[in-house]
Amino acid sequence: MKGRKKRFQWGYLLLAPALGFILFLEGSALFMMIAQSLGFLNYTGEDAFTFAHWQQLFSRNFFDNLMYSLKIALLASLICLAVVYPLCLSIQKMPGKKTWLSLWKIPLFIPALIACSLMGNIIAYNGALNTVLLALKVIDKPLSLRNDAWGVGALLTQVWKNIPFMLLILYSAIEAVRKDVLDAGRNLGAGRVRLFFEVTLPVTMPSALVATIMTFIKVFNDYTISKVMGPIYPSTLSNLMHKAAYTLNDWHSAACIGCLMVVTSIIFVKLYTWLSDQITRRLS
Amino acid sequence: MENSLTIKNVSKFYGSFQALDKINLAVPEGQFVTLLGPSGCGKTTLLRIIAGFLSCEEGEVYFGDRLMNDVPPEKRDTAMCFQSYALFPNKSVYENIRFGLRMHKVPKEQHKKLVEEAMEMVNLTGLGSRRPYELSGGQQQRVSLARCIVVRPRLLLFDEPLSNLDAKLREKVRVEIRQVQRQLGITAIYVTHDQAEALAISDRIVTMSAGRIVQNADPRTIYERPNSKYVADFIGTANIIPCSVESREGDRFVLKCAYGTLRAIDRDCTLQPGAQASLLIRPEDLFLAAPGSENAITGTTRTVVYMGNVLDMFVDVNGTSLRAGITKENVVTENAPVTFAVKPDRIRILEA
Repeated sequence: MKGRKKRFQWGYLLLAPALGFILFLEGSALFMMIAQSLGFLNYTGEDAFTFAHWQQLFSRNFFDNLMYSLKIALLASLICLAVVYPLCLSIQKMPGKKTWLSLWKIPLFIPALIACSLMGNIIAYNGALNTVLLALKVIDKPLSLRNDAWGVGALLTQVWKNIPFMLLILYSAIEAVRKDVLDAGRNLGAGRVRLFFEVTLPVTMPSALVATIMTFIKVFNDYTISKVMGPIYPSTLSNLMHKAAYTLNDWHSAACIGCLMVVTSIIFVKLYTWLSDQITRRLS
Repeated sequence: MENSLTIKNVSKFYGSFQALDKINLAVPEGQFVTLLGPSGCGKTTLLRIIAGFLSCEEGEVYFGDRLMNDVPPEKRDTAMCFQSYALFPNKSVYENIRFGLRMHKVPKEQHKKLVEEAMEMVNLTGLGSRRPYELSGGQQQRVSLARCIVVRPRLLLFDEPLSNLDAKLREKVRVEIRQVQRQLGITAIYVTHDQAEALAISDRIVTMSAGRIVQNADPRTIYERPNSKYVADFIGTANIIPCSVESREGDRFVLKCAYGTLRAIDRDCTLQPGAQASLLIRPEDLFLAAPGSENAITGTTRTVVYMGNVLDMFVDVNGTSLRAGITKENVVTENAPVTFAVKPDRIRILEA
């Protein structure tokens, strides 16, 4: 008996917009980047397979920039997480919480350059922070926080800019924790802090993980804030990539840096996921 | 016997709305007390005040001799079974039940034994490693019960725990709840709007309406000797019609109503001849009788419904409806004349 020919399922076409977006926009950029890192698709005409660009990449300069990017991204995402949890819990209990939430979202709409100027005014040599600390006699001379070697200025700006983003994700997750479940916990003898670690934290861990990973990737790939507020050297990999492509006109090295940024992001996403699984398991 | 719980003049307001109005209640140790009433009568508010989730504007709550008004929920030594089970979604059944032991700092080496005992009591043996979402509604409520009893609380609180279960399971779990409570001798406060559940499970029923206690009595008294039309109507099915007291001799009354002239014996009634009142006859207290019998009521059947265990009938008596429930062995057809009778001591006289 002849096998029946399978009919084409027209419903699959509904996937086209999403698949098209991923395959065309993201896939093509990824393909170009990998190809360029291997010597192909050169804008200036040279077009040959080579590992030379990868070999040149692993210099002290690259590792300094990589470590700086990781440091700022890791610290910014963890500080945001540490700030956002208590913030969400206190907003939840505040009268007029909708207004408070709207106010906290304001930094989301401020462009990075404006955020840098704002933070610059606060942490400048004669800025608000130094003035207050000097007046309170906490310090005897103004702190140099803008464009400092450690990256405090960039870190503070990243935290300020990303807290609302994380708040947006985590607040709805915390709101979704059922009140009767928390009541049951209190009823069985758990205080508020214990209840947070026993129930709220594990239940909201998946959302916290998403928020942390997204913040990490945003900060890791940042260009503007590091350029304006960060140290002259080292800087983020995005700055290094920009310098390679536009100042040195070396698009192949820029593509290699791009590839490594993607790989690093994937490694850290895996790492965060593993870590949060461990924490959730321990708290359950 | 010492009172486990004493509530004195407790009032609660939500803005200008008064949810509880000077509630007074004493619950002896080991009793199973049900707060019964329709939605919005204040029963859950009272339960949440007892648990410490809500504070009251006026009045005092005592556990034994200890004033609890300012004691937070985690220090009250109560445990509550919620309508929605409220299990910790991130924990296994075993860990859910063990939670209270950890919070009460019970030595670790006792945990396994106590949790397994509690699981056995509520027929959950072997399900310890499951997550709440892997359980049926009935099993989840059993976990919730085990989680409460494992800590041997001073007060076991139930907030409509069976509302989300189907009818058959509801009956099964309510029997289990009662058995466990009796076995452990823990004082229990149970909130429900289901009068059948309240009658089946309680030592005492506290009937509430609009933030007040209307009647606080044992189930038999609540059902057979309700103190008001409200309680009579809310608990079970009832024929309640206006009547007038024609004469009285001690606790014997002659009443005139739409069903005719009836004799009643009611030791609680204080009404005098000439007073307007309401008369209560439970459908199951009516029985088929020959015309002319004592307390005979004659009418025409309008609807006869076969309910399995009884025949549920609506009878037209002089333009007034009478509901009767008689054993299924009787044969009654619709639109036929029928005569019922009721014993005088099965008629209750209530204030109009």
